[in-house]
Amino acid sequence: MTVAADQHIEGKRDVTLRVFRLNPQVDSKPYYDDYTIPVERGITVLRALNYIKENIDASISYRVFCQAGICGSCGMRINGISKLACTTQVWDELSKCREEGIIKIEPLRNMPLIKDLIVDMDPLVAKMKQYSNWVDSTMPEAEMGKKEFLVSEEEFHRYDKATDCILCASCVSECSILRANKEYVSPAVLLKSYRMNADSRDGIHDIRLAELVQDHGVWDCTHCYRCQETCVKNIPIMDAIHGIREDAIESRGMKDTAGSKHAEAFMTDISKKGKLVEATLPFRTNGVAWTVKNLLPMAVKMILKRRTPPPPPLVKPSKGIKQFRAEFKEMSEHVKQDHKTHNK
Amino acid sequence: MKRYAYYLSCINESMTKELDRSISLWEKDLGIELVHLHESTCCGGSNLDYVSPKHFALVNARNIAHAEKMGIDLVVSCNTCLMTIRTAKKKLDASAELRAEVNEILKAEGLEYRGTSEVRHLLWVLIEDVGLETIKSKVKVPLNKYRIAPFYGCHILRPSTVLGKDDPLDPTSLDQLVVALGGSTIPYTHKNRCCGFHTLLVAEEESLSVAAEALGEAIDEKADFIVTPCPLCHTVLDGYQAKALKQADIHSSIPVLHLSEMVGLALGYTAKELGVKRHIVT
Repeated sequence: MTVAADQHIEGKRDVTLRVFRLNPQVDSKPYYDDYTIPVERGITVLRALNYIKENIDASISYRVFCQAGICGSCGMRINGISKLACTTQVWDELSKCREEGIIKIEPLRNMPLIKDLIVDMDPLVAKMKQYSNWVDSTMPEAEMGKKEFLVSEEEFHRYDKATDCILCASCVSECSILRANKEYVSPAVLLKSYRMNADSRDGIHDIRLAELVQDHGVWDCTHCYRCQETCVKNIPIMDAIHGIREDAIESRGMKDTAGSKHAEAFMTDISKKGKLVEATLPFRTNGVAWTVKNLLPMAVKMILKRRTPPPPPLVKPSKGIKQFRAEFKEMSEHVKQDHKTHNK
Repeated sequence: MKRYAYYLSCINESMTKELDRSISLWEKDLGIELVHLHESTCCGGSNLDYVSPKHFALVNARNIAHAEKMGIDLVVSCNTCLMTIRTAKKKLDASAELRAEVNEILKAEGLEYRGTSEVRHLLWVLIEDVGLETIKSKVKVPLNKYRIAPFYGCHILRPSTVLGKDDPLDPTSLDQLVVALGGSTIPYTHKNRCCGFHTLLVAEEESLSVAAEALGEAIDEKADFIVTPCPLCHTVLDGYQAKALKQADIHSSIPVLHLSEMVGLALGYTAKELGVKRHIVT
């Protein structure tokens, strides 16, 4: 046998796709169908699904359009992780199978299921409307189309990456908080919101920001970075989320919401002691009534185990705190100066 | 004896004191010495970076510069401190302008951030420097009785652009350590998931629901305990466990150990010595 023929055999094998199935009009509960097909190295999961649909089972349903990683239609969970079927190689998934040679294909999470691998995008679109995910132009209507609306290169770089989003909803599917509460704004909508709020042509920054700081908004993100890690376009989504928070603190102040008060506590404690004063953090974030109602039973258990954080006077400052405070203060002067220059 | 500068995390100084205490019991057994960096200040806990990016750069440049002054790496045992300090390091290493600005201020303390010390998790030091074979050879009480659920926590894995040691969605390092200590890990799909810590005070119900999922799987799989390399994850999974499970209507419980306690048990220290009794769930 020639070397070339050997390589050919090495690059071809039988693979099983274990596909999630549910037709809510017929089935009382979901099930999985196994399809074992010959696959050559270089074949994508989407092409494997197309093969199954064309040759084995035409009833299997999924969304597909561009087949080239552009349109974002074929988002699905492959071996448990949300990604695009059209840019995922079957071969690359073989090492990630829980059962040898069986690739699990499931619909995206955190969205209502329509059929098999198709989820309902309407709730996501509704959130994009709720958070005004478009540029509401400051240009008077009479001037539109007659005048250029220029954006500086510097400004464009602030949201260049955010504009790469193709709304595939992989980040939505992977979001830890959305899994716990479907009302949560979701990473994709936060990304879009950041992008619109950073755009100088937009006129509703304050309205959008006011919506973003409400319950289920930007402060509910738990920093798990799953959205960013699974983004099919490698967009640093957490930078956008932190960008909205930075903007919220600057535009609306630190006493605005529980989230901003929580963030402020870090700044205050570091400037004073170099250490976080954990004992009073719940009070400063949510007030006395909330803390007593929510944390008292646990506090009792913690006292019994001598696990309670020390009260503020007993929190030992970092060594060399005097010098550190001076440095921190000096940086505050730099920041003030930066703001002055920025506002000019 | 290899020396490291040991970063003092706020949570280990206040609520999870057993973590640092348990490391101090066995560090020399494994040929490492962690020099406590009493000058270190709070890293900003994944919050200061957006409250004031410049202060964020300053405090963490200072934290790292203290280790650099000693000519050794900075070792951290809290995932969020790790991610936060490494994020600052990445920004400092990428910007000569930012470095110059913070160094101008740090000069007064005789410090300079140069980028010469690495910022590493204790777990990484155990695997990369001590080595799994050495650890295996030091085991006195193999953990072969236990089926263990390894809960990595987010900030030792993600963002991978900042952490970059383990597969951010399918990690194995903690599993390898468990095996070296004679134990076995359960297949645990929540191993790479979130504990909910960072929203406990702003979206408690959601956080507890996130925690309950991770706890629920470990309970269903009949793990003997969960182990985590992060004291923040520990605080949720242990301290808030009863509340989380009650909310999810799960009637059971499961102990949660710090990485340092699990290592200590295998090296022959007792649960009492290691401070396991200080946990809420014992």
